[in-house]
Amino acid sequence: MSTETTESKDIYPLALLMDELKHDDISNRIDAMKKLDTIAIALGSERTRNELMPFLIEVAQDDEDEVFAVLADELSKFIPLVGGPKYATLILPVLEILASTEETLVRDKAIDSLNNIAHELSQDQLFNDFVPMIDRLSTADWFSSKVSACGLFKSVIVRIRDDTLRQNLLALYLQLVSDDTPMVKRAAAKNLPPIIDLLTQNPDLSNNHDWDYISNMFQKIINDNQDSVKFLAVDCLISILKFFNTKNGSAHTKDLLDSSVKLITDEAWRVRYMAADKLTELASQFVSEPSCLNSLVEPFLSLCEDNESDVRKAVAQQLPGFAKILKTSLSETDFVLGKIIPAVQNLSMDESEVVRASLALKVTELVEVMTKEEAIDHLLPILLNMLKDEFPDVRLNIIANLKIVNDSIGIDLLSESLLPAITELANDVNWRVRMAIIEYMPILAEHLGVDFFNQQLSDLCLSWLWDTVFSIREAAVNNLKKLTKIFGSEWCRDEIISRLLKFDSQLLENFIYRFTLLTALTTLIPVVSIDAVNEQILPFVKHLADDAVPNIRFNVAKSYAIIVEALLSGEDKDTNKALVKDSILPSLEKLCSDNDFDVKYFAGESIKKCNELASA
Amino acid sequence: MDIDMDDVPMQDAELTPTINEETSINDHDDFQDIEFKPGSSGIADNKSNKPLELNSTNINQLDAWIEHLGKCEILSEDDVARLCKMAVDVLQFEENVQPVNVPVTICGDVHGQFHDLIELFKIGGPCPDTNYLFMGDYVDRGYYSVETVSYLVAMKVRYPSRITILRGNHESRQITQVYGFYDECLRKYGSANVWKMFTDLFDYFPITALVDNKIFCLHGGLSPMIETIDQVRELNRIQEVPHEGPMCDLLWSDPDDRGGWGISPRGAGFTFGQDISEQFNHTNDLSLVARAHQLVMEGYAWSHQQNVVTIFSAPNYCYRCGNQAAIMEVDENNNRQFLQYDPSVRPGEPTVSRKTPDYFL
Ligand SMILES: [Mn+2]
Repeated sequence: MSTETTESKDIYPLALLMDELKHDDISNRIDAMKKLDTIAIALGSERTRNELMPFLIEVAQDDEDEVFAVLADELSKFIPLVGGPKYATLILPVLEILASTEETLVRDKAIDSLNNIAHELSQDQLFNDFVPMIDRLSTADWFSSKVSACGLFKSVIVRIRDDTLRQNLLALYLQLVSDDTPMVKRAAAKNLPPIIDLLTQNPDLSNNHDWDYISNMFQKIINDNQDSVKFLAVDCLISILKFFNTKNGSAHTKDLLDSSVKLITDEAWRVRYMAADKLTELASQFVSEPSCLNSLVEPFLSLCEDNESDVRKAVAQQLPGFAKILKTSLSETDFVLGKIIPAVQNLSMDESEVVRASLALKVTELVEVMTKEEAIDHLLPILLNMLKDEFPDVRLNIIANLKIVNDSIGIDLLSESLLPAITELANDVNWRVRMAIIEYMPILAEHLGVDFFNQQLSDLCLSWLWDTVFSIREAAVNNLKKLTKIFGSEWCRDEIISRLLKFDSQLLENFIYRFTLLTALTTLIPVVSIDAVNEQILPFVKHLADDAVPNIRFNVAKSYAIIVEALLSGEDKDTNKALVKDSILPSLEKLCSDNDFDVKYFAGESIKKCNELASA
Repeated sequence: MDIDMDDVPMQDAELTPTINEETSINDHDDFQDIEFKPGSSGIADNKSNKPLELNSTNINQLDAWIEHLGKCEILSEDDVARLCKMAVDVLQFEENVQPVNVPVTICGDVHGQFHDLIELFKIGGPCPDTNYLFMGDYVDRGYYSVETVSYLVAMKVRYPSRITILRGNHESRQITQVYGFYDECLRKYGSANVWKMFTDLFDYFPITALVDNKIFCLHGGLSPMIETIDQVRELNRIQEVPHEGPMCDLLWSDPDDRGGWGISPRGAGFTFGQDISEQFNHTNDLSLVARAHQLVMEGYAWSHQQNVVTIFSAPNYCYRCGNQAAIMEVDENNNRQFLQYDPSVRPGEPTVSRKTPDYFL
């Protein structure tokens, strides 16, 4: 912009800001607010404290939410701008106003900034300014202030060493948990786990009185008549269990187990969903109490048969984790075959495809809790059935996670069912499903070995080169490169390049396939022997230099540079230099005088590159 | 999702492939509020008398812009000004009926759905390796009109012989003030400057293209005042889209099941029947008229016994119509293939499942 504005910014920054904040157009006001730090720097810390901050208190009461959001954000960087931590409390009043607005976005940003600032406050500042502010927000009439208050306790709770003061804060929090409005209760319940986690990290700080408050809060939450509050009890419970496990206290274990069971079997599906989703983490808190774990098995199985498909979908992913915990903590092992496998069997035939797909993501991990024989007899039949599922995501998820099964029972037993499943997915109408299968090929190649691969899968890998979707052709090309890295240059030469060069000439009448072939051969250059480049790839590329389609010709030009790079980095550098000079450069020079601009351009770029390589 | 969808009926694809996406430009009186003087952006003040010459400096500049825009990030206002000035010196030399060689991939409306444009390139292949012909309506409706049009214009300047961008009825000062592009520019740049630059640039876009002398491509359709392609060549296209007349019709008309010329429900352009299309193709020795402009559920639709094809490249139009998108590949032997595709999958935007539990009610 004009220099005029820059100068005046230095001379009258505050006036300018005030002016821009009066602008009718909100986008101007937002832009002005984004420059708030620049203005504070220009003013210096003293004027920022004495003039800017009072002005911002006015602004925070009279503008629109978008401007407030920027203001709340900007203020988090303000401690150095007001002159360091000792003046930091001067920033609080503006943020306190913003923390009381109705718009969630503004409040959230204000809370973030307040919590950032709290880190740099001294004990005295916390005590004299921050805690009283929390107090005001917590006891305000309007719910939005109270919701904001809930997010601030975590910044102070473990920094207050005085037991009475800390317990006063907890009493205040209990009030919020017991509030009349669901919004406040939800905010309080959501912010409780981090508070408990902080007490866990400072185990010597709290005493039984603290825990009376927390336990009271938890009882309020778990017994709330609103599902949207009650389901937050799951996270609270996990945090509480972690605390007692850290403290090695087992006095509450029985009660907490009862709470766990209550949540898992709650009448509201949302609560059961949350419990199902966190089941492994919940169960892992009971590892030292095998009898407790045992009492969780039946409730767990009931989740697997839940009426709501979302609950089954969530628990389906928790199965292996839960089984692992049981396996390590319980001595008897027949629960895997006796309880878990029947549940898996049912879920694998669930009426909802989403549940089956969810199960397919993790079910292969069950091999880790089974012997090889058990896996072959009991898990494998289920997996093979899932490979035939009518829903592609189920098959795809199984295939993508098979490695662990291969490691345990070997690929041979799987391959017979695997191949039909792969062939079918390879032709799925959804190109992203085809893509996922291509990406799995290198893993499969490593496990199956070259003979099996040549017999069963190499045709498929080549066929993807002729897909109608560009991204599939591109992935097919990259797949060939990865396979060559696994099976070696000889293999690529005999099984891939030779076959590519023999391809149906009718297909090549379409430039898309000539382009794909050119890309495939060019991509293979770095992973095949110089002989293959010389004898197979270079002649084909040269022959395309006269192609009628300019897009092919400029890709030939690009390809030449890659060929030259390969030729000049190998052992016969000097022989190859002559080859480059006699056979590649003339062709490139011809392309340089092509009548298409892009061909000329890319040929010129390649010549530059070749000359650099030759002189290096 | 608070876009105004009143004028986007979920229509029955069988009965009417049409979507009356906009009422007539003549019906709107709210334009007077905003000053829009053609040329006021200044991007065409120092036009060159020969086409832009690409050199290593401006190529590097363009490549950097394209990389930036490819991440769906906007250019600065100053860079948009530079880009538009360069684009004027490319587009002013194109013809009203821009000749295009095969092979080429022909695409329809994009309407600011930037991520679906990226999906389009994933399906059809990246430019410049694949040649593209876009038939207009890059802006309005979607949330990323600025990114979409900046990207396509940057590609056009960088690879003028690899991509052709025609003008749609939305590439207009009046329409963009109602359907989103104007507001988006204001929101993303804080002023109307970028909108002025692009709408000034739109005046230079070619209005039709002729692929290998066989396929006549344009945004809307035919005009009762145009019998031969030569008549299109004689129009003065460098102006705001007029409210009536041949240039307006080319950008606004639709094919119809009824024969002859009909009054368009859009209030601009006409409807034309199979007799008109057959006559036009015969007179001009064409095999096909390819056009965009109408939502079609499969992404493409034949009409008039394969004399006309409609191509629409905005999947799930307006983020809610549930339609597929399509592009038409024409190879060097004039074989045609349609590729259909669905909306891009974007991380962080989970596909809606029944009753997804809401953590934060
Ligand atoms: Mn249109």
